[in-house]
Amino acid sequence: MNSLYQYNPYFSGKIITMARLLLLFCFSFLTLSAFGQKKYTISGTIKDSATGETLIGATVRIKELPSVGTATNSYGFYSLTAPAGNYTLLFSYVGYQTVEKPIALHADETIGMALTSSGSLTEVVISANRPNNDQITSPQMGVEKLNMSQINQVPVVLGERDILKTITLMPGVKSAGEGNTGFYVRGGAADQNLILLDEATVYNASHLFGFFSTFNSDAIKDVSIYKGGMPAEYGGRLSSVLDVKMLDGNDKDFTVQGGLGLISSRIKVEGPIQKDKGSFMISARRTYIDVFLKASKDSTIKGSSLYFYDINAKANYHFDDNNAIYLSGYFGKDVIGLKNTFGTNWGNATGTIRYNHIFNSKLFSNTSLIFSNYNYVIQSFLSDNNFKATSKINDINLKEDLQYSLSSNHTLKFGVNILHHTIAPGDITSNSASSFNDISVQQRYGFETAAYVSDDWKASDKLTILYGLRLSGFFLFGSGSFNTYDAAGDVLSTSTYGSGQVAKSYLNLEPRLSSSYQLNDVSSVKFSYNRNTQNIHLLTNSTTSSPTDLYVMSSNNIKPEIADQVSTGWFRNFSDNIFEFSAEIYYKWLQNQINYKDGAQLLVNEDVESQLVYGSGRAYGLELFLKKKYGRFNGWIGYTLSRTEDKFAAINDGNYFPATQDRTHDLSVVGIYQLTKRWSLSSTFIYQTGNAVTYPTGKYEVGGLTTFSYSERNGYREPSNNRLDIGATLEGKQHKKYHSSWTFSIYNVYGHRDPYSITFQNSKTVPNTTEALETSIFATPIPSVTWNFKF
Amino acid sequence: MKVLKTTIYLFSLFALASCTKVIDLKLGNNTGQLVIEGNITNTAGPQIIKLSTNVPFTNTNTYPPVTGATVSVSDQNGNAYTFTEGPSGTYSNSQLTGIPGNTYTMTVVTGGKTYTASSKMPAVVNLDSLTSKNDVIQTSDHKKLVTVYYQDPAGIANQYRFVLYVNNVQANDIYAYNDQFNDGRYVSIDLFENTASSSVDKGIFSGDTATVEMQCIDKPVYTYWETLMQAQANGPGGSVTPSNPPTNITPVTLGYFSAHTTQSKTIVVK
Repeated sequence: MNSLYQYNPYFSGKIITMARLLLLFCFSFLTLSAFGQKKYTISGTIKDSATGETLIGATVRIKELPSVGTATNSYGFYSLTAPAGNYTLLFSYVGYQTVEKPIALHADETIGMALTSSGSLTEVVISANRPNNDQITSPQMGVEKLNMSQINQVPVVLGERDILKTITLMPGVKSAGEGNTGFYVRGGAADQNLILLDEATVYNASHLFGFFSTFNSDAIKDVSIYKGGMPAEYGGRLSSVLDVKMLDGNDKDFTVQGGLGLISSRIKVEGPIQKDKGSFMISARRTYIDVFLKASKDSTIKGSSLYFYDINAKANYHFDDNNAIYLSGYFGKDVIGLKNTFGTNWGNATGTIRYNHIFNSKLFSNTSLIFSNYNYVIQSFLSDNNFKATSKINDINLKEDLQYSLSSNHTLKFGVNILHHTIAPGDITSNSASSFNDISVQQRYGFETAAYVSDDWKASDKLTILYGLRLSGFFLFGSGSFNTYDAAGDVLSTSTYGSGQVAKSYLNLEPRLSSSYQLNDVSSVKFSYNRNTQNIHLLTNSTTSSPTDLYVMSSNNIKPEIADQVSTGWFRNFSDNIFEFSAEIYYKWLQNQINYKDGAQLLVNEDVESQLVYGSGRAYGLELFLKKKYGRFNGWIGYTLSRTEDKFAAINDGNYFPATQDRTHDLSVVGIYQLTKRWSLSSTFIYQTGNAVTYPTGKYEVGGLTTFSYSERNGYREPSNNRLDIGATLEGKQHKKYHSSWTFSIYNVYGHRDPYSITFQNSKTVPNTTEALETSIFATPIPSVTWNFKF
Repeated sequence: MKVLKTTIYLFSLFALASCTKVIDLKLGNNTGQLVIEGNITNTAGPQIIKLSTNVPFTNTNTYPPVTGATVSVSDQNGNAYTFTEGPSGTYSNSQLTGIPGNTYTMTVVTGGKTYTASSKMPAVVNLDSLTSKNDVIQTSDHKKLVTVYYQDPAGIANQYRFVLYVNNVQANDIYAYNDQFNDGRYVSIDLFENTASSSVDKGIFSGDTATVEMQCIDKPVYTYWETLMQAQANGPGGSVTPSNPPTNITPVTLGYFSAHTTQSKTIVVK
């Protein structure tokens, strides 16, 4: 970074202003430090007693002081401050037996805790633990945490359980379409979701055009999605953060588990590196759809490839109670090819190195060095049309996050983060006999920098406020030449910058606030406001997840996207916290949104920024959520009533029009029932308003062809979607050495035709007329079976 | 790009359970709009500008002519050509033969409005030859491809449109290309009839007579055809939001005005 300071006084000036602001902010907290009765701090790590996996979001409370409580962070660490005295500590976590531990608090204490899983969710009630009321007391709103054991029971197509598909069953989160893992959060576009796997950005979270997600649920420990009230430690995307954390690996015993399914198989190995000190986990899967292709009569199809694989790996080592290192990585690839003709492959790779250090019972730190890469290759092997087109994005990210438990009323989080992007938008290479030229589009370099501070403040017994500030800076660097375009897309001027020179920079202050006022033991009202900005933008003119997704950074032409969101909600628990209900409303303003000109050419185009138009948007809605967390029967009902609209000067005469992701109604019902000790049943029902689409309003003839004319953008609706899926799991008999289970599922039980696309064409049956043709992908019930094992 | 079409094809193979159905949709009715289709070519013989209107989606594919319009074309040197009305909305002029490099301006007066458009006729790029070969994707049904060869001139932006006729019936596809990826190369482009569900074409087979017309078109006209081509590729996995292609006619109406060179070759498919 030194060289940057020397190069550019502008850059260093902004950094210094940024640092000053944050220091000021931090000091204003320190002056709040409480005086009075002597206080002590209890800290430690909470783990699973069987596997040694740290538990994220486990709660620690003091029975005698109902207002004093905290939850473990991403590394299972907690810190709790209370006045001197004799207390009973309560350690609890969903699906685990609560532990009570008496303590005489007369000095700072370190208390590690191992909780024992109660086997399955259902037994929690039998053991008569009082389920916690986090949803009432926590200031955080707009967040959904998914339980992996629930994800594993929700039926999905072809038996491949999937966290992204399960997430779309939450209110406010909408699926991009059948067989698609893309999702829209509160009216945001698919690229406005920050998808993190152990802190590394996953740029393309789907396999095979979106039929599967890149997340192998065998390797996943914890999934949270923030739809609003984003904590200040997250930034860089407008509408949501999907934070996925991998399992650390069992540090007590070696285990192998896996599954054999109709189209894919998976295996996971985990075990201790040194017992109770360190462990590893490796999980892999591969699909074998291409086996079906081998059955084809067509020799070219027979020689085709069509598969994906991915590998998740993680290792950790605890040097002592205060120092630990974590290494994690993901590698996945999709391969599609036609024998001797075309080939394409694409994939993500991520790597994260993390170092946890506990300075003292109040101060926890984590330093992360993160790598992320996404690339694709398209190849033609034909002699006269031979070429190879490649594109990639490379990130290196250094992050420092600190958590300081200032007092029993204040927990501070603060940190800095500097992320370097390298984007190679497109290169084409070919041999001399080819019709194609070698073309290389200039690489682009950028820094996304951020500094944040937030305070979780228990202002009173009833009022909790989580507030913070995030300062995000974006710097686009040379070397390279940068064109500025006018509205018509013609070059106005060109500037050339050398290596390390700033071509364009943007600085944005993002206030974040989330607060909860507890009305009584069982209900609360919450309010949140957050501003988010985004400096990396996806360009794609396809509605499905395409491997040729192209990312561009903010520049002299593209301004940072900005979203402001306010939301408020009422939260109510029933029947001793067994039922949770919430109603949230939100309104979101979007600025500097990106769309394309008609006929935009995005692939390997040096002037891709000349193909864009800019506008604004708005989204608002109501989300209702009723969840039964415990009992033999559990599940949830989520309903969203919403509207999402875009406004572009060049489209629809500059009037608001429904965005593609606009869905008026969205209903999901999920039920899981423990029938017997070995059988459990599950079912999912969804109903969604159809996509907003553009249909022809007439037809005419040009160039000897019947052509359709269009009036309003997205002025029509596809027919609504609805579908019922059912699943059943049969647990094998308990053996000492191994365990197995069968998962059966039927996707689309009543064979409803959900429209995947509607096309307009000349009729094949009635000459000289036109017709509308609807394509459905899974129009019949799709059964599947998977055998899972563990030993 | 063809590669994308290929991946889309593979993708549809993967969706084994996919199926299609003709459905009834209540579509809006924004019809009676003027459609202008103006072509000036470098060959002698009547140049034709055709005026019609659009009709509702549910009608048959017959388009009412617009009669009684005043139509003329001029070049940058001030030469003006009046077009006379013939049958079914065609307006023609037999004196005008387009010259590459000239910019032509069309003026159409109808319904109390004056529509104008300009187009520059590009230099001729020679259509070298045609060959035929087996379709590389669907080999089992013995379909054929017709390959067009030409030498793209280096250093200048060129745009092309091809029109394919199989046994004298125009293929229901649009083929518009530029030299973004092959400037200055000896180029081969495979043309094939799209026989997917969205087409009435049956494909090219051995023994068929294939004729290819090659047009050299200017940039705005290329954008027009390219946008229509993208909209045609609409289907599973590749849907762009459809819209009327950007026209070079002001005020905006449906259609285009193209001054282009033309040449054709015919082969019997082996």
